[in-house]
Amino acid sequence: MRRSILPLLALATAGIGFWLASTTAPDAVQGDYARIFHVHVPSSWIAFVAFGITAFGSLMWLWRRHQRWDRLAAGSAEIGVIFTAASLLTGALWGKPVWGTFWDWGDARLASTALMFFVYLGYLALRRATLDPVARAKRSAVLGMVAVVQVPLVYFSVNLWRSLHQTQTIRPDGASMGSEMIRAFLVNLLAFNVVYVALLVSRVRLAKEWERRDAREMATAGAAVTAPRLEPT
Amino acid sequence: MSRFWTHASAIARRDLTIEGRSGEVLSVVLPFAAVAVFVVPLSIDTLFVDLRSLAFPVYWLVSLLFGMQVALRQTGTETINQRRQLALAGVDPLSRFVGRSLAAAALIFSVTLFTLPMVILFYDPEPKPPLAATVVVILTFATGLSLLSTLAGDVTVGLRTRSALAPLIVAPLAVPLIIGGSRATEELARGRSSLTWIGLLIIVDLALAMVAVLAARPMEEATL
Repeated sequence: MRRSILPLLALATAGIGFWLASTTAPDAVQGDYARIFHVHVPSSWIAFVAFGITAFGSLMWLWRRHQRWDRLAAGSAEIGVIFTAASLLTGALWGKPVWGTFWDWGDARLASTALMFFVYLGYLALRRATLDPVARAKRSAVLGMVAVVQVPLVYFSVNLWRSLHQTQTIRPDGASMGSEMIRAFLVNLLAFNVVYVALLVSRVRLAKEWERRDAREMATAGAAVTAPRLEPT
Repeated sequence: MSRFWTHASAIARRDLTIEGRSGEVLSVVLPFAAVAVFVVPLSIDTLFVDLRSLAFPVYWLVSLLFGMQVALRQTGTETINQRRQLALAGVDPLSRFVGRSLAAAALIFSVTLFTLPMVILFYDPEPKPPLAATVVVILTFATGLSLLSTLAGDVTVGLRTRSALAPLIVAPLAVPLIIGGSRATEELARGRSSLTWIGLLIIVDLALAMVAVLAARPMEEATL
């Protein structure tokens, strides 16, 4: 029963977010096109959070050597890649009517986000290529720590380099949009966070089940074949 | 500390000796890089595209791709048994990493330096950047790329998909090096100060060196 609460909560908040995003007044300049903001910005935010969690899981794995940290890092990276792809796709769809092009090479954030996407595809490819679970955890923990340098670069790219993107919408000195739009945006941001947590919990649980299944298969193969020890001795 | 550098220089010497004997960089990578520089003008219509404007982008792209190939060359790959022997002999993983990076940096520097006159010959960029400053840019680029490639090479050692996987890891992370190198050369060619871009290259080099210091030991453990 408890397991179904998080997905339901994710579904409910996403539903409310979608409703608010659809019913707020259209933007004065961009009209209805601006509504894609409610998907694009939270997707980017979740990508940053997910890769941050991957780095945290990698760090914790290197420190504690407990398999749960590797599951967390891997699950979060997979979700991060999906949300980065969503961010790139929605950004391109938004860019066409507003900037007149799907992609602009002069925009630092577009290029740096695409690079971040490729870096984490490399991370996932490394995981797939390493069959031994302990070696996989060790190698990907090192890469997970290195790859996270991309996150601040993408976030601050609009301030550091030439960009078509606007700078941060909500800053300590105030927000550059109306209160109705902010409310809808914050609800969507919350919804995306809940969806992320629900997906991560499910992914980590699934990884744990796979490990148990592998251990069972190893055990039935005979006493000579044993599952690798993942926990610290 | 002196033992650290003794080990590092011995490993760098070993890698350069292997290269001297096998000649992989000299007889395979260098001619391949030359062909790449030569093929680009053939693939475009030079009546409509100004080759001069392509000179430095092509140069830095070739430097990145072939620099990676140099650092991840087959004959320079340590086997797991070799790594185990070094570990058992008490060689610090960081000094092993530094030694390998130094050898890779020297080779990448040679390849990129060799490609420069070819690009100038075939593409005739105008105005041309001053040689001494360009060498400094190439040196900082080679240092960063060697650190990054050694790191990726170590993370992927022993994997069947290494030859494709390591460049997939290096190429996106090497973008600041490409940006720094290419912008610095453009500024130099226009007679302007390129200190900002050389500064970017040095910062990236330092950041990668810091990552190497932090990651060398866990990486050694990960791949033994």
